Amino acid sequence: MWTNGVFRRLLPFIAAALLSLPVVAVAQTWAELTPMQQEALAPLAKEWNALPEKRQQHYLKVANHYPKLTPVQKQRLHERLEHWVKLTPEQRKRAREKYQAFSKVPPEKREQVKKMVREQQALKAASSVPPTLAK
Amino acid sequence: MKDTLNTETVRQMLNRSSAKLDYPAQEKLRGAREKALMRYDARAAAPAFAWAGALGWADHGAHRSHYFWASVVLLAALLFSGASYWQQMNEHDSSDEVDIAILTDELPIDVYVD
Repeated sequence: MWTNGVFRRLLPFIAAALLSLPVVAVAQTWAELTPMQQEALAPLAKEWNALPEKRQQHYLKVANHYPKLTPVQKQRLHERLEHWVKLTPEQRKRAREKYQAFSKVPPEKREQVKKMVREQQALKAASSVPPTLAK
Repeated sequence: MKDTLNTETVRQMLNRSSAKLDYPAQEKLRGAREKALMRYDARAAAPAFAWAGALGWADHGAHRSHYFWASVVLLAALLFSGASYWQQMNEHDSSDEVDIAILTDELPIDVYVD
């Protein structure tokens, strides 16, 4: 009957492990975040407390990458985060799929696409400059 | 035949030919044997679980099978929750990487957003 004995020995550990799982993911208010996390997620400050726990955890993980970013990347993150968080889960899922598919494209082709997008953006920026600033 | 059963009467009964026993006596024998086996089982298992008794799992022989099945269910629950938790963690990890890449990449997110 050793299997029964093993089960009984393991029972307290199993119960403790089961009980400790939910503790790993607990909602955090904006005020509870570290200064680094607040800086990384600054564009989300207003809606942070209303975000579901699961998404808070997700963005906290994103924030962990923040110190490793270059100043340009930090700026991009701040500019895009607000837009990103307002997308529907399906839109974000699609965007991730597209990004992953795009990263599998050969580098020369990827460069071509990047160049094309840059050109388009330059055109768009030129045409959307408000008349007062377009002197 | 006497109604009371003890080891001596059991021994005496066993010594006789079983064919000579009437049905009630055979039943009593069977019952006594099962009881003895159950008690033996409980005693044999007791030392291994002695410490668990302190946590409320006192060794009641008759409830042993309940503990066994409770343990099986608990272990299954742990495996399930562990597996789903691990899966969730992994899913999140990979989407974190992709998200940070999309949010800091050279191309604007409009390229990827429908």
